Amino acid sequence: MTQDPSQLKGKSLPPPRETSGAEALKALVTGFATTLKHLGRRPITEQYPEEKRELPARSRARIILTRDPDGAERCVACYLCSAVCPVSCISMQSIEGQGGRRMAAWFRINFGRCIYCGLCEEACPTSAIQLTPDYEHCQRAILKSVYEKEDLLVDHCGKDPDYNFYRHAGVATEGLDKGRHEKEAPPVNVRSNMP
Amino acid sequence: MPTLTIDNRPVTVPDGTKVITAAEQLGIMIPRFCYHPALGSVGACRVCAVGFKEGPIKGVEMSCMVDAQEGMVVATDDPDAVDLRKHVIELLMLHHPHDCPVCDEGGHCLLQDMTISGGHGRRRYAGAKRTHLDQDLGPLVQHEMNRCIQCYRCSRFYQQFCGYRDLGVTGIGTRVYFGRSEPGTLESPFSGNLTDICPTGVYTDKPSRFYGRRWDYERAPSVCIHCSLGCSLTVSARYRKAVRHEARFNAQVNGHFICDRGRYAYAYASQPERPRDALIAGRPATLAQAATQMSERLAAIEKGTGPDGIALMGSARSSLETQALLARLHSEKGWRTPCFSADDAATRVVSSALNTLNATNTIALTEIEGADTVLLVGADPIGEAPMLALALRQAQRDGSRIITVDPRPVTLPCAHDHIAVSGDDLATAVAHLIIGALEPSREIALDADQQDRFKTLKQETRDIPAAAELRAIGHALTTAWRPAFVCGTTVPDPDVPPLMGLLQALVQTSCMWSGLFFPLPGANTFGAHCLGGSDALFEPLLAAVEAGQVKALVVVENDLFSEYPDQQRLAAALESLELLVVMDCVPSAITARADIFLPTQTIYEAGGHYLNNEGRLQVATPVIAGGLSIMDTGGGNHPPREFREDIPGGTPRPAWQYVAGLATGETDPPDVKPLLDEALTAGVADGERVSLPSASREWPSIERIGAGPEGDAGGLTLIESAATFGSEPLAAFSTVLAELTPLFGVTVHSETAQRLGWRAGDRIVIPDSAPALEVVVTLDDRAAPGVLLVPRRIGIDRTALRRYMAHLLAE
Ligand code: SF4
Ligand code: SF4
Ligand code: SF4
Ligand code: SF4
Ligand code: FES
Repeated sequence: MTQDPSQLKGKSLPPPRETSGAEALKALVTGFATTLKHLGRRPITEQYPEEKRELPARSRARIILTRDPDGAERCVACYLCSAVCPVSCISMQSIEGQGGRRMAAWFRINFGRCIYCGLCEEACPTSAIQLTPDYEHCQRAILKSVYEKEDLLVDHCGKDPDYNFYRHAGVATEGLDKGRHEKEAPPVNVRSNMP
Repeated sequence: MPTLTIDNRPVTVPDGTKVITAAEQLGIMIPRFCYHPALGSVGACRVCAVGFKEGPIKGVEMSCMVDAQEGMVVATDDPDAVDLRKHVIELLMLHHPHDCPVCDEGGHCLLQDMTISGGHGRRRYAGAKRTHLDQDLGPLVQHEMNRCIQCYRCSRFYQQFCGYRDLGVTGIGTRVYFGRSEPGTLESPFSGNLTDICPTGVYTDKPSRFYGRRWDYERAPSVCIHCSLGCSLTVSARYRKAVRHEARFNAQVNGHFICDRGRYAYAYASQPERPRDALIAGRPATLAQAATQMSERLAAIEKGTGPDGIALMGSARSSLETQALLARLHSEKGWRTPCFSADDAATRVVSSALNTLNATNTIALTEIEGADTVLLVGADPIGEAPMLALALRQAQRDGSRIITVDPRPVTLPCAHDHIAVSGDDLATAVAHLIIGALEPSREIALDADQQDRFKTLKQETRDIPAAAELRAIGHALTTAWRPAFVCGTTVPDPDVPPLMGLLQALVQTSCMWSGLFFPLPGANTFGAHCLGGSDALFEPLLAAVEAGQVKALVVVENDLFSEYPDQQRLAAALESLELLVVMDCVPSAITARADIFLPTQTIYEAGGHYLNNEGRLQVATPVIAGGLSIMDTGGGNHPPREFREDIPGGTPRPAWQYVAGLATGETDPPDVKPLLDEALTAGVADGERVSLPSASREWPSIERIGAGPEGDAGGLTLIESAATFGSEPLAAFSTVLAELTPLFGVTVHSETAQRLGWRAGDRIVIPDSAPALEVVVTLDDRAAPGVLLVPRRIGIDRTALRRYMAHLLAE
C-alpha cells in the first residue's frame, strides 16, 4: 500500500539495522551455491517457438466447426453458443438448408474478442463447435482475427467421432424420415380405429 | 369477492376467478399448458397442480379448475404438488422429440420453461417415441406434430374461439392428432395466432422460420396499421429487418389475438423493391439535393401562382405526426388544405360517421363481445376489420344475435341473420329499422317534436323488399339489453351513419347499454378527420389541377391510383402538373411518376402515433434504425468485411421530417398531443380515447331518405370493397401474403348472373386492361340482386374494369 508522504511527516522511522560481515558472506555463498547447483541441471524452459509442445486435446484455443461422421456440417445454427458467449464474439444467421436441415448461412467468430472460455463448446447441442489446442493464431491486422464460416469449418469430427444430431432429432430430413430416427416408432396411422 | 392466501400472501379477487388467475395477480406464475385466459380452463394437462392447505378444499388440485373461495390457503410449493408437476412434465416429455436446437419455438417455449423449472432434466424412458407425419398448412404456419403435448389449445382456439372447422383433433390414446383432415392452407384468417397460443413448437411462424431466437430479436410495442382497429402488436426485428408481428394484449382493442393480415403484413418494409433512394426525374440523387430542389421549385411555383398553386395530399396510413405537420404546413404557408384521401365517397361517409360519434355512444372493440344483439349495416368485418369478426364470434358464442344488412354476401365465422339490401337502399333499411323500433312499441317515449319527425320519416320512407323483416328486427332491438350498432364507412352512403346514431339513441332509452362502432377505411382516418382533413375533398383538387390552378402537388404516403377510381383521368392530371413530389415507403404506382421522390421510413423505423376507429390514441415505438438487412448487404453470406459510417440503404427519413423541412425545419418529432388538444380542445393520453363531443339528442336531418336511388330499381351497381388480403395499401406489398391473395373475382346473385349470361367459374377478360385483368365469376345468392361485387385490389387496372362494368350497366 502506498502511503501519503505528508502523513509520514514528523514521524520517526525505525533506525536501519546493521549487517554483520559474517551474515553478508553467508548470503553471498548461498546465492552462488544455488546458481552452481542449477548449472549442471537440464533446463526446464521450453525454447518456443523453436520447440513446440503437444498440448492435450482438451486445451482451449482456436475454435473450429466440425462435421458429423457422415461428412455433413454439424452446426444447426441454433444460436446457443452465441447466446452463452460471455463476450458476444459469435454471430451467425440461420437458414433452411438442403433437405430440411437447419444450417448457418454464415458464422463468424471474432477471435480478437474471444477469451477461450469454452462455454460455447459446452453449450453446443450438436458437438459442432469445438476448441482446439492450436493457440498460434495471432494476427497483426485486426480484421484477420475475424474468422468466417469457411475459416472455421473443418472436415473431421474433432473430439467427438460419433455424434450426428439429425439421427436423434425428430424432424424429417433428406434420407431420414419421420419414425426413422434412433428410438423412434414408425409414424402412427391417425385414421386407424384400432386401440 | 373472496379473499384467499397464496404462498402466505393474501389476495382478494372477484367471484368466479380461478386460483391460477388469482395467483397471477400476486405475480405468481403457476405452470400451465391448457389454460389460457381467452380459452378458459379444461383441466387437460394437469401441470397447474397446487396444494390446498386450508379452507373448503384440501389436498392437491388443479389451480385452473378451482374457483377462488373465501379462506382458501394455497401453497404452490407444496411438496406433493411439486412432485406431481414434475412427474406430469416427465410424462408429457416421454414422446417429445430431441428437437430444441432446430425448433423455432426454442427460446420462448412454454414447454422448455416448464420442463426446466419442473426439474425434469434427464430422460429416463428408454423406449421408442411415437411419431406423427406433418401436414403442409399453407404459407403462414409450419406444422411439426411430434412436439404436441395434447393441451388442446389449438383446436379450442381454432374451432370454438374462431369458428373455423378445418383444423381440429382426431384419434385416441397416443394417436391423438391435431391438424386438418387433408393437408392444405388453413382457411381461417386468424390462423397465425396458433403460433402464439401453442405452448410448444407444433405450430411455428413459417415466414420467420429459422430466422432467429427470441432473445436475439429487437422487440418493441407497436400498433397494427393494416386496418382501422389498431390492434396492439409486438414487433420483432433482427439485423435491420422486421420479421415478426405478435399479438400484444390489449383489454380494450384486440384482446389476446390479431388477424393474419396484421400479423404478416410487415414484409412490405423489407421487400427488395422498396424505394430507398431519393430520385430527381427518376434518377438517383442525394437526399439533400432532392430536398433542396423540392423547396426551391416549390418556392418558384409559389411566386408565380401564389400559395393556391400548391396542393398537399396526405394519407390515412400516415402517423399523426405526419398528418399534423401537413396541417401546419398549410396554416403556415397558406398552401391548399391537405386532403387525406382520394376516395371522396368514403370521405363523406367518414365525415358523417365521425360527427355522429360522441362521448357516450362510442364503444371499444372488446365491448362488442359483451353485446346481446349486434346490428351491422354496410359492414363486412372479415374484409374491412378482421378482428371485429372475432369479437362478433365471441358475442355470438355468448348467445348474442348478429344481424347483417348489406348488399354484399357478408360471411362471418358465426351464425348470423343476413338481409341483402342493395347499397342505395341501406339508408332506407335503417329507416325501416327505426320505424320497427318505434311503431308498435311502448318502450320508447317520444316528445311532440319527435312525434312529428317520426311521422315525416314514416311518410318519406320507401318500401323495399326486406321492409317487413327489417321492421321486425327493429322491434326486436327494443327488447335487447345490450345492443351494439356497427356501420361501415365505405359501402353505405353518408346518410346511414347518422341514422344508425339515431337508432342507437332511441334504443338506448330502453336498454341497459348500447353503442356505436364504425370501422373506418384507413388506419389513421380518425387522425386525418381530427386534424381537419375530412372536409377537403379530392375531386375539387383534381379539377384545380386540370384547370391549371394547381401547379405543384406534394403527395405524402398515398398511392392515389389505388384510391381514385378513374386512373386515366388521374394520370393525365398528374402529367399536367409542373411539379409532382412523392414521399413513400412502398413502390406504389405513383412513385414512378414523381418529379422528385423522397423515400420515407416505415412504422418500424419512424414509430408514431395513431388514432384507431374509436379515436383511441396509440403509440408505435421504433424497432430498428433502418437500412438494408444484413441478409441483403451480405447477399445471403456473411456481412461485408468493411467498416463504414453509414447504414447501407439507410437514407429514408420519417415523412414528417420532410414536411417539417418545408415548414418549420424542425428535426425532432413533433409532439402530437398538444396538436390534438388544439384540434379537439381537450386533453388526450396514450391508450385513451380522444375526447369526443358530449352526447347530443338531436335527430339528424331525414329529408333525403325517401329520395330513393337514382335510375331504375332494376339497374346494376358495382361495389368495390375491402378484402382480407390484397386491399390494404401496405399489406398488399407483403411478399408473405401474396400467396394468400385469391384470384380476382366478381360475386353476383344468380339472378343477376342469368341476366348477364354468366355462369359460376366463367373467366371474363377485361378488354384493354393493362396489366391484363381476368375476372372469375362467383355466384352467391346472399348478395343483393343487381350488385356486382369486386374486391379492392392494389395494382389492377381499375379504369378498364370500371369501363367494362359501366358498359354492362348501360346494356
Ligand atoms: S470460447 Fe468463450 S469467449 Fe470464445 S467464442 Fe466460445 S464462449 Fe465465446
Ligand atoms: S451451439 Fe453448436 S449447433 Fe448451435 S449454433 Fe453454435 S455451433 Fe451451431
Ligand atoms: S398442437 Fe400445440 S396447442 Fe395443439 S394440443 Fe398440441 S401442444 Fe397443444
Ligand atoms: S384487425 Fe386490423 S388492426 Fe387488427 S391485426 Fe387485423 S389488420 Fe391489424
Ligand atoms: S393448466 Fe390446469 S390442467 Fe392444464
